[in-house]
Amino acid sequence: MIDALLEWKDRLLGRGDASITVPVFDGALKSNNLLEEAATFATLGSPEDLATDGRSLFVADGGTVLRYEPGVAPSPAQAGGSPTASIVYSGAPAVTALACLRDGGLALALDGRELRIVGGPHDGRRWDAVGGSRMNAVNATGVAPDGRLLVTDGSLEHPVAHWRHDLMSLGRSGRLFELHPASGEARVLASGLAYAFGACAAGTQTWVSESWSHRVRAYASGKRGRAVTDSLPGYPSRISPAAGGGFWLTCFVLRTQLVEFVLREPAYRKRMLAEIEPQHWIAPALNSGNTFLEPMQGAQLKMMGVVKPWAPPRSYGLVIRLTEEGLVRYSLHSRFDGKHHGVVAAVECGGDLFVLAKGCRKILRLSVAGAERSLQS
Amino acid sequence: MTSNPPAVAATILELRQATKKYAGVPAIDGVDFALRTGEIHAIVGENGAGKSTLTKVMAGVVTLTSGQMLVEGREVNPRTPNEALHLGVAMVFQETSLVPTMTVAQNLFLGQEKYFNRLRGIYIAAQQFLQSLQFDVDPTAVVSLLGAAKKQMVEIARAVLHNAKVIIFDEPTASLTPEEKKYFFDLVYHLKARGVSVIFISHALEEALLVSDRITVLRDGKHVVTDDKAAFDRARIVQAMVGRDLSQTLYGQRKTTVRPQGKRVLSVQNLRMAAMVKNNSLSVFAGQITGVFGLVGSGRTETFKVVAGVIKRDFMHGGEVLLHDRPVRYFVPASAVRDGIVYVTEDRKIEGFFETQSIAGNVYLGLLAKLRGKRTLVSKKEAAEVGMHWIKRLAIRAIGQDVKAIELSGGNQQKLVISKSLVQEPELIIFDEPTRGVDVGAITEIHQLINRLADEGKAVVVISSYLPEVMALSDRILVQRMGKVVEEYSALEATEEKIMYAAIH
Repeated sequence: MIDALLEWKDRLLGRGDASITVPVFDGALKSNNLLEEAATFATLGSPEDLATDGRSLFVADGGTVLRYEPGVAPSPAQAGGSPTASIVYSGAPAVTALACLRDGGLALALDGRELRIVGGPHDGRRWDAVGGSRMNAVNATGVAPDGRLLVTDGSLEHPVAHWRHDLMSLGRSGRLFELHPASGEARVLASGLAYAFGACAAGTQTWVSESWSHRVRAYASGKRGRAVTDSLPGYPSRISPAAGGGFWLTCFVLRTQLVEFVLREPAYRKRMLAEIEPQHWIAPALNSGNTFLEPMQGAQLKMMGVVKPWAPPRSYGLVIRLTEEGLVRYSLHSRFDGKHHGVVAAVECGGDLFVLAKGCRKILRLSVAGAERSLQS
Repeated sequence: MTSNPPAVAATILELRQATKKYAGVPAIDGVDFALRTGEIHAIVGENGAGKSTLTKVMAGVVTLTSGQMLVEGREVNPRTPNEALHLGVAMVFQETSLVPTMTVAQNLFLGQEKYFNRLRGIYIAAQQFLQSLQFDVDPTAVVSLLGAAKKQMVEIARAVLHNAKVIIFDEPTASLTPEEKKYFFDLVYHLKARGVSVIFISHALEEALLVSDRITVLRDGKHVVTDDKAAFDRARIVQAMVGRDLSQTLYGQRKTTVRPQGKRVLSVQNLRMAAMVKNNSLSVFAGQITGVFGLVGSGRTETFKVVAGVIKRDFMHGGEVLLHDRPVRYFVPASAVRDGIVYVTEDRKIEGFFETQSIAGNVYLGLLAKLRGKRTLVSKKEAAEVGMHWIKRLAIRAIGQDVKAIELSGGNQQKLVISKSLVQEPELIIFDEPTRGVDVGAITEIHQLINRLADEGKAVVVISSYLPEVMALSDRILVQRMGKVVEEYSALEATEEKIMYAAIH
């Protein structure tokens, strides 16, 4: 009763959970154009995830996994065009997550419902349920230094492609697993997460992105999770280690006041989900500008003909470099008026950062040292 | 064949080598200024450039320390606004000087009432007079019910009624809506047509370029340039406003390195506070000095006063303040102090200390504010120890710790205010104009202290109207305009022109 009254008061006064606020891009999150200006490495049909073994870049594209050799100079015939790739896996269900195992082979999430190892000493091992529940929306996987696989299952209620349905229904059924390729053992590390999307080993801990809670949490064995970085201005996704220490964290969409408002209006959301096509929902998107029916996410996008950096975006491109403590060191952006949006994965390979901008179906390549120099000048 | 040069109107008001010092610090220094008959003359400059002092001298609000003032060629020395009015110089202040409970007509004739004053008579006289000025104001309306523009009309009418030949406006458009501004500019043109000379101070450069005939730029209390409007563009004005020779100033050293950003201590999200703070968002990080620059009225002080619990945000939908990612809402500063937030006020004499208390007493009060409830008995011995510790630590120069705060110099008063805050062992320290009215020696010491706090890992905010100070101290600079942060610069990329451009546009 008291809780209901407090909630009513908050809704009336716009306070507490009902305060429609979003964190600002400032400090190390200040906008720049580095991601927008990054070179296109490859354009693909339906890219989902990236992985690297330190030498090659693996890309999940629909039902296939492609292997690129970024360190190999392109032949004269290829110069200026797309780099050549070899197909290392091809199958029917789409690959929704990808990781390179330490002792060879790839871990593939197939349609989000099964995790299978292809190649290497554990070839053929597969999991489709953990902790008594079937996998439903496996969207990311990473490898710990001890060879464990860290896997996130975004939602028990919606498949990977329906992430917006999960956001709009305030989903809290995400899970974090650890899988042992050698023994086949599987264990749930955390459950009830607000869309788990990306996991990475950080010392003795496991970091996991909890997208709808806009934070990265750390789990250590036998301990409760704690927030590593909180109140992010976007919805975080996959995490990968950075060569110079720390981590790369991608944010696939941003928070806006309008979406936050919609998320606090259950009746409105219910009708929107029932009556409007998903692509026209007031919800974040991996890309935008495709149709005039798209709802505006705010106002004052332009002043004097110039798109303002604070223009509220429907889609955006953002990669965040975190320190080992989880502090934001710097960030790479493709702003509202850019195209390299919907960034879902970033891996570092050979001194370059490869970024998967799913919104424009491109893999981008930029020099880490060059980006850092540019930010310092 | 030669053409005659255009006739230049006679000079109605002139200042020669005008200098005004406050406690030995010059607010204006050797300024030469001439106002022609029937011209509209804009005075522009940064905060603290001396614009208000210059015009207050003309209006008799303050008197010159040295120099001359001439009205129609005759040397004068008005010591009160009334004396200046008799000389034909009237000033319309930013805060109107009307009596809000009286009617327009009563305000117009205030001080000129006859012994037997017929209300009907002054209403008729006021109506005729306002009509002659083409001012659409009801003389029977109570002033408190009028809008800002109409109030200004009444002020102007009062000035004209007193046969003012020169009318000075201090930030006349700051509180006007765009429509009211247009109306105001029409009034100014109308005054000009009647042969009245107009001086107006404005931070809005486009207004100066739009309305004025000539523009004078002041900087650091000195006259920089006066020229016809046609000779100026926005870039030249900004350059003249900020183009001080950095090598000649106290803040000459540009930063070559910035402190890395630590953990986010404060996050202000979509904060609203009446008309002053509009959907403002910013972050403050540990181990860094965050400089906040903005012109008067940009909402800098109000934003951080809300953070520190000095004033309250909007009751409904006022946004959020997060301290270490935890939402907080303070109704009094003591709660903020207990959470580690202190606000070092810009107005130390009113808000900073108890002037009849000793140094030790003031510092101890700061400590008691932090320890509320935990200290039931006040210990004089402890107060003396705490006072002595902070006198030594901040090098407060006084004969003893029993010296009253009022007896200290400006710089030492400021150090007292700072020590009263630092005794509370804060995590987030907000300095609002930390060196305003402080002598040069103390400025250096205060700056060293601020830098030391950031080096110790504290989150430090420095709000300043003085650009070189912001640039010399800050690791990152936030620029506020019209109630919200509109730009952020790293200290390495910031230039005075960039910051001023963001603050104005």
